[in-house]
Amino acid sequence: MRFSKLSLLYLIFIIPIFLFSETIRIHLWHQMEPQKEPSLKTLISEFERENPNIEIIALHKGTEELRTGYQAAAAFTGGGPELVYGPMDQVGPFEVMKLKKSDKSIIMPLEDLFDEDFFARFSDLALVKYKGHIYQIADRLGNHLSLVYNKKLFAEVGLDSPPQTIEEMIEFGKKLTIDKDGDGKIDQYGLVWNYSEPFWFIPFFGGFGGEVFDRNNKPNLNTEAAIKAFQLMDDLKNKYKIIPQECDYDIADNKFNQGRAAMIINGDWSWGKYLKSPKVDFGLTRIPFVNETGLWSSPYVSATGYSINSTVSGTKLDATKKLLKFLLSEHAQRTFSKEHKSIPSLKSLQSDPSFMNDPVLQESSKQIEVGTLMPIIPEMRAIWDAMRPALQNVLGGQMTPIEAAEYQQKLADEKINSMYEGSESSPEKNTLMNTIFIVLGIALGLFLTYVFIYKFILILLKNPKSQETRNSRFAVILAAPAAILMFGMVVYPFFYNIVISFSNMNMTNVNSWQIVGFTQYIKVFSEQIFYSVFFKTLIWTVMNVFFHVSIGVMLAVLLNRKLPGKTIFRVLLILPWAVPQYITALTWRGMFMSDTGAINLMLSKIGMESVNWLSEPTTAFIACIITNIWLGFPFMMMIALGGLQSIPYELYEAAEIDGASSWKKFLNVTVPLLKPVMVPAITLGIVWTFNNLNVMWLVTNGGQPADKTHILVSYVYRAAFNLYRYGYAAAFSMIIFVVLVIFSITFMNKSQVAEKT
Amino acid sequence: MRDHTKLYQYILIYIIIIFFVVISIYPVLRVLTISLRQGDNLLNESLEIIPKDSTFENYTKLFTEKPFLIWARNSMLITLVVTIIGVVLASTAGYAFSRYKFPGRKMGLLSLLVTQMFPPTMLLLPLFIMISKLNLVNSFLGLVIMYSASALPFCIWLMKGYYDTIPFSLEESAMIDGATKMFTFWKIILPLAAPALVITALFTFMTAWNEYIVAAQVLWYEDMFTLPLGLKSFQGNMTTEWGMYAASALLITVPVVILFISLSKWLVSGLTLGSVKG
Repeated sequence: MRFSKLSLLYLIFIIPIFLFSETIRIHLWHQMEPQKEPSLKTLISEFERENPNIEIIALHKGTEELRTGYQAAAAFTGGGPELVYGPMDQVGPFEVMKLKKSDKSIIMPLEDLFDEDFFARFSDLALVKYKGHIYQIADRLGNHLSLVYNKKLFAEVGLDSPPQTIEEMIEFGKKLTIDKDGDGKIDQYGLVWNYSEPFWFIPFFGGFGGEVFDRNNKPNLNTEAAIKAFQLMDDLKNKYKIIPQECDYDIADNKFNQGRAAMIINGDWSWGKYLKSPKVDFGLTRIPFVNETGLWSSPYVSATGYSINSTVSGTKLDATKKLLKFLLSEHAQRTFSKEHKSIPSLKSLQSDPSFMNDPVLQESSKQIEVGTLMPIIPEMRAIWDAMRPALQNVLGGQMTPIEAAEYQQKLADEKINSMYEGSESSPEKNTLMNTIFIVLGIALGLFLTYVFIYKFILILLKNPKSQETRNSRFAVILAAPAAILMFGMVVYPFFYNIVISFSNMNMTNVNSWQIVGFTQYIKVFSEQIFYSVFFKTLIWTVMNVFFHVSIGVMLAVLLNRKLPGKTIFRVLLILPWAVPQYITALTWRGMFMSDTGAINLMLSKIGMESVNWLSEPTTAFIACIITNIWLGFPFMMMIALGGLQSIPYELYEAAEIDGASSWKKFLNVTVPLLKPVMVPAITLGIVWTFNNLNVMWLVTNGGQPADKTHILVSYVYRAAFNLYRYGYAAAFSMIIFVVLVIFSITFMNKSQVAEKT
Repeated sequence: MRDHTKLYQYILIYIIIIFFVVISIYPVLRVLTISLRQGDNLLNESLEIIPKDSTFENYTKLFTEKPFLIWARNSMLITLVVTIIGVVLASTAGYAFSRYKFPGRKMGLLSLLVTQMFPPTMLLLPLFIMISKLNLVNSFLGLVIMYSASALPFCIWLMKGYYDTIPFSLEESAMIDGATKMFTFWKIILPLAAPALVITALFTFMTAWNEYIVAAQVLWYEDMFTLPLGLKSFQGNMTTEWGMYAASALLITVPVVILFISLSKWLVSGLTLGSVKG
């Protein structure tokens, strides 16, 4: 009896769940800081408990990767996550990209999905509108800079309040910049911030009355405001000397956090850390007032929120909406606001006592009151790229403020034009172009098939009995798996790239681009910068490979003998290769820093002047080369160690009997016999170094100073991918490719491996 | 090997080697310092290697708060498969290219090299499009194929170069003794090429072990992450958990070092003139 009751219960409750519980999976891509992820995870598992049929898969990505990754997935393959969370300025670049065969953007307008009451609960800033639609709903506001000061350090010099004006900031800064032990080196700075990034320049630019775009959304950077703000930057660094000579985000953050800087300009994301720091007595205030204009310095204020993928529909859309509502709810926002000091986007929470009584959040909202709303149009990306080198040129003393203002305007105009270039070509010309290219494509295909059949298949089929054919077949069988794998992987990307390089593809037409012929190639060659970057790439490649090979071979030869401790040495010497590049390259960057870096400390120990490695183009370039030599020599050493094993030691003995010196033995025995193994390694070393995107980018923080430390690939990345100029990027990449082919085939011929192949 | 190195030469050799060892390990020791430090500081003004307030907190956090072991398992799985594929295909293809004349040989060798010349900016987007068209998003298979393909060209060239230094007379005498082609390759040539196989294995291993750019595009589940992807997840837009970052960077290095140590006994001469005469 009991048993049947139980089974009845089972039938009534369990089975329906099985029947209707087809799990709906929702992917959420976000760019929350790692510290915030635990809160997000807790919220998600709460939601999943309440909605057992929905599974949430959250994935963290960096801001840049999130944007490009989402675009690649949504615009190019029609996939991607259902929900995407990020800063509001990604809305512009998302809106402009359209889905395949449709004029819908890759994120959907949200105004029809929810009722008005729902929207009314949010503050205006939280509903991110673009071109008349709401594309994003934010769960937090801010992301803005403000001035943080260390009350303890202020008290030490008898100051009891933060600076209110720029003049006070300078005055206080001078008092707080102290050489404690009298060794001529400053131990505590008055003020630090990531001053070579334009995001940190905007507050001052705004304080002097500058606005990035005019009414028609055209850049407006060559103004009195820009000149004055540049002048202030220059003075702070070079006249008042209250900020360090070199300062990036990590230096600034570290100095302030360790109590070695009295003030920092940093964003709301960083305050939680300073509040916890034992060396910081946290104080927050507005970035100072500019007497001259009667304006407060005005940092960009933005919102961070959720957008929905346009391809989502049906029950998935319902589930996504449910999740969105949950993540925007009071409960969720309260969690983040309490733990991470973010300003909630719901009006109800903004008047909540827990919010009103939090001094940090209150100071933060005061800063927002005088902030400027972050522009969300895609052109903003070009503005950053134009402002950055101008600012760095002023700080490095290569340009006067007046020149820099002119320069950034010119760059911004150029870059914005390049973003839309080619979108407006005539349809008739395009059909002609299309036809020509299709015909050429078919002809090429036929030709390749012909060659394949006549030069390959037929030869393998003729005289099946002959030894030669049987050998050939054996060899083809051995080589075929590798060849198929290789070409299967490469063929599609290669031809895709060729086609795109003849097209006008940019962010507005990812799915409706047209063939325009050689336009993009002509553009690359007509730009002066191509040649200078090319020249730098050559120096970079030659220097690196030369040192990789000579150090590597030298060490291998030294280690290739009976030597106590050899095994340990060998392991220690491959460490630079074995530890992930990403962190060691950044460690080297730290070692090159001017006043804290190990290299300058060592230079000063041996009585040499310290060098501002990373703020001069030439020394920054040298720093990159040194780093990359360090990263690359172990590889060559290993290859050489392997190669040396193929040399029979009898040959050395024979040479010795002939009375050859060590050097002679090296030249006449080692070098020629090492060649078959080393030449491919060197050739590929050249290729990899030529195309090494990472190291340069990491050490110079993306081309600093002023985009002067680039090699061809990093330049393409900066100038083309960053601005979504796909066609141009493809053509540029093709040119790099062809240059490399010529370069390395010349090398191969010179080194005469061809004779043996 | 008989050695005629004199004492002063030994001293000189040691000085040079130790100089480079110091240069090699100093930055790595900096990474160690970061991993032992409390808080998240990439930079520090002090030069000491073991900070005063050293702690293993970052290491324990990796195992308790992050799915570090799952990432390690994923990475291991992918990397081992790639290494096996790499070694097998490179040793066979390299042998074909070294010993036989066949149609497409020259073309093949050259195109292997050429595939390495595509700048990364050219491959990223179309590779992702291809992988998603083949429905290989969120599967390890796509990555295995990708990694094997990117390691192969170098390995084939390397193997071919090494085979080239092994005298042809070895095979000729084996053939005269009636050995098959496959037997000669497997039993005579391959053992002699051990040093090159070691390098091939190491190189393929490293290619798969450290890659994250493609993996980041292809893997959407945190519990499918490979180690480098896990490492990247400690990095925020502005704030990075440098302590854990450094700790996991060092832990990622350990298997590479172990592999190198265990393989390096094969990295010794297998070849003497004697084997040719015999």
